[in-house]
Amino acid sequence: MYRSASLIKQREFRTLLFLILLFVVVGFINSDYLSWQNIDKSLKSSLLFIVLAVGMTFVLLTGNLDISVGGTLGISAAVCGTILRDGGNIFLAVIAALLIGACIGLINGFGVIKLKISSFIMTLAILSITRVVQVIYTDGKWVENIPAHVKELSNLDIFGINLLSFIVIVGVIFVQLYLSKSSKGRYYTAIGDNADGAISLGIPVKRYIAYSFVISGVCASLAGLIFVSQIGFVSTNAGAGIELTVIASCVLGGVSLIGGIGTVVGAALGAIILTSINSALVYMKVPAFWNDTISGSLLIMIVVIDALLAFNASKKAKKVRLNARVLQKEA
Amino acid sequence: MLTKIPKWNLALFVIIIAEIIVFGMLNPRFWNVTILLNSFNDFIAIAIIGFFVTLVVITGGIDISGGSIIGLTSVVTGLLSQVASLNIWVSIICAIFIAGLCGLLNGVLIAYGKVQAMVITLGGMLLYSGIAIVLVGMSGVSTYEGISGFSEGFSQIANGEVMGIPHAVLLFIIMFIIAYILLHRTRYGRYIYLTGINKNTAEYSGIHTKKIIASTYVLSGLSAGIAGVVLTSYLGSARSDYGAEYLMPILTVVVLGGTLITGGKGGVVGTALASIILGFMLIGLQMAGVSTQYIGLATGVLLIVSVAFLGINRDFRSNMKRIVTQKQNIGG
Repeated sequence: MYRSASLIKQREFRTLLFLILLFVVVGFINSDYLSWQNIDKSLKSSLLFIVLAVGMTFVLLTGNLDISVGGTLGISAAVCGTILRDGGNIFLAVIAALLIGACIGLINGFGVIKLKISSFIMTLAILSITRVVQVIYTDGKWVENIPAHVKELSNLDIFGINLLSFIVIVGVIFVQLYLSKSSKGRYYTAIGDNADGAISLGIPVKRYIAYSFVISGVCASLAGLIFVSQIGFVSTNAGAGIELTVIASCVLGGVSLIGGIGTVVGAALGAIILTSINSALVYMKVPAFWNDTISGSLLIMIVVIDALLAFNASKKAKKVRLNARVLQKEA
Repeated sequence: MLTKIPKWNLALFVIIIAEIIVFGMLNPRFWNVTILLNSFNDFIAIAIIGFFVTLVVITGGIDISGGSIIGLTSVVTGLLSQVASLNIWVSIICAIFIAGLCGLLNGVLIAYGKVQAMVITLGGMLLYSGIAIVLVGMSGVSTYEGISGFSEGFSQIANGEVMGIPHAVLLFIIMFIIAYILLHRTRYGRYIYLTGINKNTAEYSGIHTKKIIASTYVLSGLSAGIAGVVLTSYLGSARSDYGAEYLMPILTVVVLGGTLITGGKGGVVGTALASIILGFMLIGLQMAGVSTQYIGLATGVLLIVSVAFLGINRDFRSNMKRIVTQKQNIGG
């Protein structure tokens, strides 16, 4: 009983409820939306954002921000795409892409830790640099003619579920277990919650901040691989503006930008919500130009409601504490 | 005299001189004063928003919605004057008023709702550019061509000149003076600094920090509105995607100008100099034959180097101070 009560109180539960509500309401208007095919498709199109959001959550948990994910995605997709196009080994392409992501993450971490640049500025600068590097690398051309067997990878099915979706969901669950159950995983939350306290506890704060950026970079290049496999070509502005959507989905899922609060599952749910809204609008026959308005106002509303709830909760907690003290004195 | 100017601003000024010399050597046309003055048109929007985002950043917040407010103002101006056929000046005032409302929404939610500035302005950014797209979509105007056919008087706002000085330069100076006086010469400006240095202390000493914080966002929204009108006038058509790529340059200008992203320190003078550096760099690289696609590399490197320099410099100085004072203690 206690367990279920604490589950309802959790932020992720509310996000999930909202997602279900979204599907039910839209399904009420157009029953095709609730079909298994559409749910599978929604999940498939949000995979990219889920993977990015998982990486971003690590960085956000430590109280930093990574704007460079779009650039990392673009450049690793371009490199992976060119290797595959020129007939290279698929493993080579994957490893190259992941190495690039890790390198960019290391550079970000170096700037934040050693050069003491605020993570927002550092990753913003890296974003614009990676974009240019991508243009130089691809000579301003699109990477096309990616072999068909790579594209088929994204359409493989296992037990009636898309293979990639399956892997990503399992991955998210494992990462969540790592973050909430393993002692090393708890470090990220501890750093974001109270950096000075984490130092006093003997947590290697700087190293873990660097890890978080590397993880985010690697996740971004994984997303780049998914991009190549799902879309099948890489334009010069692949992933432009994606970083803001990813941050928005993390915030929707209850990850705090100040750090220390949030879960990977929540961020993934947020990503699914944001991508589902787009397809929901199509099913509700609303013109596509409403997308940004609805996502934006939804983000603002959810965040403000969250802040008000948190404010009320802390007020109530204060009152309870005060009452307890008064009672003690009386006794 | 020289000691009165902050060192960072002096360094920025030296960079501007160096830019003029280097780019002039690469392409002598860069030394043409008319071209230099006219190049202000290309970064005036960035500079205007940068001035007032500096105020926001000094209070410890951040405003990334400026770029999309440009698009919204542009569309509103176009729709009111061309589709609803209102007087052009009335529609400009309406558009700037709406930009102020956008800023007010940001400010109220951030100051009174106690939500992180980054999140709210991120949502605002999606919302305002979304509204602009919706307005364009509902009015049935072509998204790509935009709304054109403005009167001659309107295009004079950005393209005219007084005594050989383009309006853009005059506007740059006027907005700079307004921001400078607000921040450095009034009580309001001191309150902004105090709020940024320590919000709680400022609150306890009787400053309405919430009002101060909210007002900086309104100012930033209004400036984005003015920038949107100027940009529409300069380019001759109203489109919803103007300013979409300005997020990065605006922040670059503010940070390069020596304003701490954590708040409490900085100034408008630095922002002005930094925006000139950025603008000259864009035009100089273009003249030297570098494709516009590669300019991001230069601005990115500039941003990292300058901020790293600022940060290391500060640490270095405080370390030196500690060492020196310790020695004195031992000596005494």
